Amino acid sequence: MLARMRVPSHAAVPAASASVRARALFRNFLRRELFTRYLGSVTGLAWAFVHPLVLLVVYHFVFTTVFKTERFGNESFLAFVAVALWPWLAAQEGIQRGATSLGNYAGLIRKVAFPHELVVYASVGATLILQFAGYVVVLAALVVYGEPLHLSGLLVAIPLWIVMAIGVVGITLFFAALQVFVRDVEHVLMPGLMILMYLTPILYPLKLVPESMRPWVAVNPFSWLVGRLREALIDGRLALEWGDGVAAVVAIALYLGGRWVFRRLSPHFEDFV
Amino acid sequence: MASGSAALLSLDHVGKDYAKVETRGGQFRLVFDLLRGAGAAHVFRALDDVSFALQPGASLGVIGENGAGKSTLLKIVAGVVPPTRGAVVVNGRVGALLELGSGFHPDYTGLANIDLAAALLGLGPDEIAAKRDEIVDFADIGEHIHDPIKHYSSGMVVRLGFAVATALRPHILITDEVLAVGDESFQKKCIAWMEEYLSDGGTLLLCSHSMYHIQKLCRHALWLRDGKTERYGPAMEVTQAYLAFHEEKTARTRKPIAQADAYAGGAYAVQTLTIDPADVVAQGSTMAISGEVFSPDGRAPSVLVGVVRADGTPVYGVATDMDRVTPRKLAHDRFAFSLTLTDLPLLPGKYVVRAHAMDPEGVRLFDHVERPFVVAGDSRELGLVRLAHRWHDDA
Repeated sequence: MLARMRVPSHAAVPAASASVRARALFRNFLRRELFTRYLGSVTGLAWAFVHPLVLLVVYHFVFTTVFKTERFGNESFLAFVAVALWPWLAAQEGIQRGATSLGNYAGLIRKVAFPHELVVYASVGATLILQFAGYVVVLAALVVYGEPLHLSGLLVAIPLWIVMAIGVVGITLFFAALQVFVRDVEHVLMPGLMILMYLTPILYPLKLVPESMRPWVAVNPFSWLVGRLREALIDGRLALEWGDGVAAVVAIALYLGGRWVFRRLSPHFEDFV
Repeated sequence: MASGSAALLSLDHVGKDYAKVETRGGQFRLVFDLLRGAGAAHVFRALDDVSFALQPGASLGVIGENGAGKSTLLKIVAGVVPPTRGAVVVNGRVGALLELGSGFHPDYTGLANIDLAAALLGLGPDEIAAKRDEIVDFADIGEHIHDPIKHYSSGMVVRLGFAVATALRPHILITDEVLAVGDESFQKKCIAWMEEYLSDGGTLLLCSHSMYHIQKLCRHALWLRDGKTERYGPAMEVTQAYLAFHEEKTARTRKPIAQADAYAGGAYAVQTLTIDPADVVAQGSTMAISGEVFSPDGRAPSVLVGVVRADGTPVYGVATDMDRVTPRKLAHDRFAFSLTLTDLPLLPGKYVVRAHAMDPEGVRLFDHVERPFVVAGDSRELGLVRLAHRWHDDA
C-alpha cells in the first residue's frame, strides 16, 4: 500500500494551509487565464464576445432570409437561437480549451507539486465566466431591441448554467487527462463537438425532429438544458421541475467520473505532458 | 539510513519506474492499465532502492552522471511525482527549487511571477503581500521587476527564483544545479546565503556537478549510479570516490593498457589528504600538505603532489622520488607524507591540490585525491604565479 501512497510536499504543510494554497493557486491561474487569454489582447476580449455574436447574425441570416423559417410557432428566431447558442458555445469552448490546458502548464507540472485539477478548473472557469457575461449582455441587448424575452428567467438560467458548469468540468477533466497521453483527443474533439451541436436542438426546436428519432436527440443532456433555458427566458416559466434534480445528479456524476479518471492519471502527467 | 522519527525527510527503499510507450497505440493500453490501477506494462527503472534520512540542519549533496536519477530523486522529494515503490515522509515545508525560474510564466512581469511562485509554494495572499518587498530586495534587479520575464537575462531569472525561495526560509531547501547559473558575484551571494541558512539550522538538499560546491556546502553526499545508491557518506569521501571513478573512466578510455598494468601490481592509493589552511590561503603565505598512502605490498610508494588551477591547468608538480624523499612508514601497508609550500607564489584565484599515489619506482600513476582551495589577495598581476622579478629603472 505504501507504494501507492501519494506524498506531495504540501502533505507536510498543515491541512488548513493546503486548501489556502489551492485557493491561492486557483485565483492565480484564473487571473492568468482571463488576462493572458482574453484581456491581455484587445482582439482576444473582443473575440470572446464577437464570435458568438457573428454566429448568431449568420444563423439568423441563413435561417430567416435564406430558408425563410421566420418563426417556430410563436417564437422569434433570434431570441430562440440566442438563448441556446451561448451556453452551447461556452460549453464547447470550455471543453476544447480545457482539454489542452495542461499542456500550457507543462513547465509547472514537471517541476512543482500542485493539484493539477486546478489548471482545468481555471481554464473552464475563465471561459464560462466570460461567456456568461456575454450571454447576459446579449440577452439585455435583445430585450432593448424588442425581442420577447423574460429577463426574470435569469433566476432559473443562473442555476442551469451552474449545473452545466459542473457537468462541463467533469467532461473536461476526462478529456484533459486523456489528452496528455493521447494527442489525438484535441483533433477528435473539434469535429465531434461540431457534429454534436447540429444534433442538439439549438437551431431548431425538438418538436420538429421526427417522432421516431426524437428520443435519440432528447437523451443528450444539452437538449434538456436548452429546453429549460427557453422555457425560463422565452416563456417566462420560473417553476423548478423534478427533471432539474435529475440533471443536477447527472452533472455531479459527470464531475465525479471525470475527476476519478483525472486523479488516476495525474500522477503520471509529469512524464508525458 | 534508518528513518528516525526526528527526521525532516526520510526515504525508505524508494524506487521510481517511468512508463514507456513503445508501440503505436501503446498509449491507449497505458491509459487503460493506469485506470484499472495496474502499473504500466513497459517501464524504465529511473530509481531503485534509495534510502536516506535528513535530520534538521543536515546538508546532503546528490551527485552522479547525467541520467543517474538525480532529478527524479529531487522530484520525488518535492512531491512532483509519487514513488513507485517505498515511502517518503516529509515533515516540513519543502521549498522546491528544481530548476530555478521553472514556475515562472514568460509573459508575466517579475512581480506577477513572485505572486505565482509564492502561491505555488503554499503562501496565502496575505503572506505573499508581506514577503513581496523582501523578495524584490534580494533579487536586486531594479526596475526590471515590472517587465515581463521573457525580456530577462537567464541570470536575472535565477536571481528572482532564488529570492522567492529564500524569502520562504523553507525547512528543507532543494536546489538543482542552481549555482551553475548566475554571475560570479551572485553565486557568492547565494553560497553565502546558503551557508548562513545552514548555520541557522536549515536543511539542504543540493544537486550539483560541481564537487567544489558539494564539498563546500554539504556534510554528506549521495552518489547515484544508474538509479541506485553507489555510495552514501561524508561529502569529502563520496565526492573523492566519485572523482576517482571519473578519472579512472577517462584513463580507461584513453590508455587501456596502462590500466591493465595498474591492476596487475595491486593499487597504491592515497587515503587521506589534508591541507592547512583548509579553504583560503593568503598569497605569499605558507601551506602545509600531508596525507597517507596505502601500499598493497608494503613497499614505500612514491607520492606525486601537484597544484592545478580550478580548470585543470597544471601549475606545478613534484614527486617524492624526484627529491629522494621516502614516505614515513605508519603500518606495514600505510605510509605518510608531508610537505610545506613556502612563500606561496600563486596569484589569487581557485586552485586544487592533487596527490597521486605511484609505485615505488615512480613510474606508474595510480589514483589521485584532490583538495580545492582559494588563494586570497588583491594583487592585480596577471597569470598563475608570481615570477621573481626586478625592474631596471635606468632613468
